[in-house]
Amino acid sequence: MSQEVEETLKRIQSHKGVVGTIVVNNEGIPVKSTLDNTTTVQYAGLMSQLSDKARSVVRDLDPSNDLTFLRVRSKKHEIMVAPDKDFILIVIQNPTD
Amino acid sequence: MTTDVNRTDGQMDELKSCEGSTPTKSHELQIKSVSKSNIKDGGGDADDFDAWIKSRQLLKPDDQLDLTEAELGEEITKVLTTTNTNVIQNLVVYSFKESAFVQVPVAGNTVTLMEMDGSALHIDSDEAKIQMEETGEIGYPLPTLTGSFIEVEEDRASRITKGPDEDEEGEEKAAAQAAKEGEDEVGEEELEGEEEEVVEEGAAEAEAAAVEDAGEAAGAPATAPATGGRKRKLLNQFNFCERSALTYTNPRRNVETQTIPPPRSQYGANVLQWNIYDSYADDFEQQQNERDKKDEKRGGHRKDVAKKKLDKAAEAELLNKKYLKAWQILERMINQNIYEEIANDYRYWEDPADEYREQEGTLLPLWKFNYDRIRKLSVTDLLFNPMYYDLFAVCYGSHEFMKQPNEGAICFFTVKNPSYPDYIISTESGVMCCDIHPTYPFLVAIGMYDGSVAVYNLREDFEKPLYLSVGVHNKHSECAWEIKWGPDMADGEINFYSVSTDGRVFNWVLMQNDFMITTITTLFLTNGIVEGPDGTEVHLRSCGSCMKFHPSNPEIYLIGTEEGLIYKCSIAYSSKYLMTYNAHHLTVYRIDFNRFNSNIFISCSGDWRVKVWEDMRPEPLFIFDLGSSVGDVKWAPFSSTVFAACTNEGKVFVFDLNVNKYKPICVQAVVPKRKNKLTRLAFNENLPFIIVGDDKSTVTSLKLSPNLRLMVKPPKKQQYLDQNTLQVQKLDKLLSLVRELPNDMVILEAPTTTKS
Repeated sequence: MSQEVEETLKRIQSHKGVVGTIVVNNEGIPVKSTLDNTTTVQYAGLMSQLSDKARSVVRDLDPSNDLTFLRVRSKKHEIMVAPDKDFILIVIQNPTD
Repeated sequence: MTTDVNRTDGQMDELKSCEGSTPTKSHELQIKSVSKSNIKDGGGDADDFDAWIKSRQLLKPDDQLDLTEAELGEEITKVLTTTNTNVIQNLVVYSFKESAFVQVPVAGNTVTLMEMDGSALHIDSDEAKIQMEETGEIGYPLPTLTGSFIEVEEDRASRITKGPDEDEEGEEKAAAQAAKEGEDEVGEEELEGEEEEVVEEGAAEAEAAAVEDAGEAAGAPATAPATGGRKRKLLNQFNFCERSALTYTNPRRNVETQTIPPPRSQYGANVLQWNIYDSYADDFEQQQNERDKKDEKRGGHRKDVAKKKLDKAAEAELLNKKYLKAWQILERMINQNIYEEIANDYRYWEDPADEYREQEGTLLPLWKFNYDRIRKLSVTDLLFNPMYYDLFAVCYGSHEFMKQPNEGAICFFTVKNPSYPDYIISTESGVMCCDIHPTYPFLVAIGMYDGSVAVYNLREDFEKPLYLSVGVHNKHSECAWEIKWGPDMADGEINFYSVSTDGRVFNWVLMQNDFMITTITTLFLTNGIVEGPDGTEVHLRSCGSCMKFHPSNPEIYLIGTEEGLIYKCSIAYSSKYLMTYNAHHLTVYRIDFNRFNSNIFISCSGDWRVKVWEDMRPEPLFIFDLGSSVGDVKWAPFSSTVFAACTNEGKVFVFDLNVNKYKPICVQAVVPKRKNKLTRLAFNENLPFIIVGDDKSTVTSLKLSPNLRLMVKPPKKQQYLDQNTLQVQKLDKLLSLVRELPNDMVILEAPTTTKS
């Protein structure tokens, strides 16, 4: 990852309410995380499954369409997922902080 | 059958008429024609009958001689001779070859109607007997070929329609026959052969087969003759030899082999609609690639190797870009969550207090835009991107000319991410102005404090300038104050104009990799000739401080100077000003044309005043005193009478001339008075908010309350008028009020001073 990307990542981590960021590679393995090991693995596994399913939904409705981003708003957090062919980026933010 | 009957009838008539009286030739012909027409009429039996009756009544031509009984009884001897009296003996024809008339040889008396070499033998002849003995055939008369033959001959251009169970060979024959229609003898031969065929192949069917008349559309049917007798295969009775042989039967054998069973594997996958779509898309791409490869093979192989090397680097680059874009969007999402309330205000909050206030409005502060690394520079220019309305450029420089920093920057912020600029371009000198190309919204031209200009391309590698003016002569000698993209040249070259304190207006044309500079005008100063030492003369120049192009006429532009003058200039004439306005006492900081009426423009200056001007009118229409140096003034894009100004005191003034001609309808301190000064201001083109920049590198966005953006309600009788015409009308109405005033009082001597 280039310096520019690293900088953006650092900036994101410094934003208000950001709990953690996870980068998952195309094999589903988390390669970069600010969270502890078990949480990271759990998030990575579940989120990649969810984004696969979500993509499948979007693609099934219209094959020429595609999933670009996924935001899951929960009582405690907002989980933002950027699913790509080559990677999945996950950001967990606590918006009420 | 009917044709047959008709024909015979006709013949009978002929005979009868012959018996009855000596018919004249014309008579006979007539009868014939009648019978023929009968044939033509075809199908209807009643018609045939009528014709038949008619033909029996002997028609007499009018000019027929009436002979007495005696004359009729008179015997006339007729002598038959061998000579044909109808043959013309002395027929001549002009021969061009001999250029004389040449006698044509007498045609013989014979007329050949049909010629056919027969291969038939008379059944009673010796030869036939021998043959019959040899073949063991009974002396059996062949089916009446002749009968059918005659029939067919009578309807020469006829065709035989076969029964449905006729085999292909027959059809072919029929087709061949149809092709030969019209050819007399050959056709007849064919026909004979045809008849034989038919007979050979079971001629009983031919009974059903009708002979249709193709030439005569009526298609009078004629039956093929009944070929009575038993079916038998007709051999070639003239030359026939039958042979047979028995071949050996090969012994049967069974051979079996067992092959290795093909490898098996089990495969399972979900098939969804998009899987199918994807595989089709992949397949299509592969096909495209193969096609491309074929093309490339024709071109050459060498490129491939270089390409592959590049590919890996390019892939990594691409992945990086994807990462960056994803992170940027995520950052925007995070910011949206953080500033959710502001974002909602920005879109939806309308100050409810405005309903109870009249002629007053408020500004609601929204986000503040900062770039951490730049804290001490002042905002020298603000500009919204013409295409992406949420994106704006902020120029960082300094107005402190005594301690000018040796750095500057231009940042592009979007309201979607107030925390960090989308693009950051650092420069070595303070950026004083910028402009974004209206048709290429990624091209940014900047003017800097040291007088140089640069062009950046935001799409790729935006940190390095695409063009940079280098050298002493290729730049302004002093601070470039305003820069403006011009319309493309005739050759499609992109160009821009810049004005500087050094009193020159340059036109910069973007060539292949360098600028081409033309001096548009040098701002001379009227009465600006000063005596120098030793009797020399020094020509003083005006110092340009701002520039504005006419919105509809790209040749006309206004220039504000540090002397407080406004020059109206044209690109076409550099030596002359079209108009000089004695506008201000101090530097003119900004000129802006009204969005709805290009004859109206506004100016602001360091002499605390804002003035509204009409084209070619030396006196201003409105003068407003804002109590401190006015850094910027802009007309609103949504209304023809609304403008906003910002002052050094940190206040933003919003005027609506339609509401109040003397006072601002909103005065609001945006930044603390002592610490900060407001420098620049810009209206958003789509949404009702403005951005103001101060001298501490902060840009504040402010939402205009509903009272500050009052729209014109169309009059009841003219509901169809759109807002644009209404705005123009509103301004015109206002102007007509103001214009009348100066008749007796030339200038509003005492400018309205606002205190707040």
